[in-house]
Amino acid sequence: MSADGAPPRPGNRPKLGPVQGEPVTKRPDLAALTPRQRALRLAVIKEFKAKKVKKFVEKQVQHLNTNRQIVEGIKFLFDEHGAPPRNAPLEDIIQERRNIEYQIRWFDAVLQELRNRLTKVREIEDYAFESLGAEPLDE
Amino acid sequence: MAAPLFLLAPPRSYTSLINAMLGQHPQAFGLPELCLFNVKYLKEMWIRDSDEMSDDTRARQGLLRAVAEIYAGEQNKATITMANHWAAARQEWTTADIYRELVAKIHPLIAVEKSPAYTIALDRMLAMHEAFPDARFIHLTRHPVGQCKSVMQMNDGAFALYVNSIEFQEDRAVIEPQYQWHDLNINILNFLDTVPADRQLRLRGEDVMSDPPTQLARICRWLGIRDDAEAVDEMMHPERSPFACFGPLPALFGNDPNFLRGPTFHPHAVKVPRLDKPVPWRDDGKGLHPRVVALAQELGYA
Repeated sequence: MSADGAPPRPGNRPKLGPVQGEPVTKRPDLAALTPRQRALRLAVIKEFKAKKVKKFVEKQVQHLNTNRQIVEGIKFLFDEHGAPPRNAPLEDIIQERRNIEYQIRWFDAVLQELRNRLTKVREIEDYAFESLGAEPLDE
Repeated sequence: MAAPLFLLAPPRSYTSLINAMLGQHPQAFGLPELCLFNVKYLKEMWIRDSDEMSDDTRARQGLLRAVAEIYAGEQNKATITMANHWAAARQEWTTADIYRELVAKIHPLIAVEKSPAYTIALDRMLAMHEAFPDARFIHLTRHPVGQCKSVMQMNDGAFALYVNSIEFQEDRAVIEPQYQWHDLNINILNFLDTVPADRQLRLRGEDVMSDPPTQLARICRWLGIRDDAEAVDEMMHPERSPFACFGPLPALFGNDPNFLRGPTFHPHAVKVPRLDKPVPWRDDGKGLHPRVVALAQELGYA
């Protein structure tokens, strides 16, 4: 408590960065920047993302070239002594991969089914409007 | 309920290691990065926001691992699923209430946590103090050159960009990590003005790395817990923490991946660079900003 009994207030030491916000990660205050600075800021973010994607693709291509080296892909999980992760045994990793592949196949099948149904419904809708001599409402 | 101990520091300031060390004390419980005070309600940790960089699902992995360990005594796929259900059942709770439940569950052990994301916003630290008026805070510092170099080496400076630590030059913008070092430490100092002097401690990370037994014993005495050789020796083994390794696949992280890969502590003297030299991440030969130098000196770096 301060001398007058009120709870102490946070200090107001000034910051340094040209972009502020509370929090600066989610609500950056860009009003203080000139349009040119805003454009430069976006450019540096885009450049960063592009580099990240490039690195990711390079890594994937490397894996493909070496016939999907699973060990290489999960090497980062092994500790400083080369021991496998105690919470994520290889069996779990393989099972998880199989699960995801299974789910992808399942969603592919569902997607295909929905597309077939959509095509049929569209045909029926077109036929119905044709019979009425009217145009579909959203086209 | 034992009041928690929070480590406040920008990322790459030895926080993972020192948090795990303190958490190994027989009277303490070291938590992974919970990130709870990043938001007001628990459900917000599952909601994608308007962040320009990316949606980081890793922010909730520490909480899931902590719940799995505290309530089930182990971390595997099944207990992480349980932790997700635990969280779903409490999704409307405030994160302060969630935190209080965890602290009550591990009572009488003292919860020790560091989430560098708390230091991004003053509101987050005020929320921590509001939830735990008796909490203690350690302001952990690292030399600006060491911290900034480390930030730039991690994912090409992703964190610095994430907090908009950008310098505008004539025809380009570049990532300049000095701003995040300065402004996050300023956030901490501004926050600590609200905390009574006997509940805060400032510590140079380099000093802990150079002489951990002395520094750890000093922290114990400040906390009023055992500082005998046995307790200090236990703290020298951060790798024994249940969170000092990767988690199960649905919650792999909850901490710095480098620490998770190699949590063993190797005592070493840290070379503290000079404040008046060109900095290695810039290609124009410039050094630290005068205000960064002034703050570094205030924090005890000559």
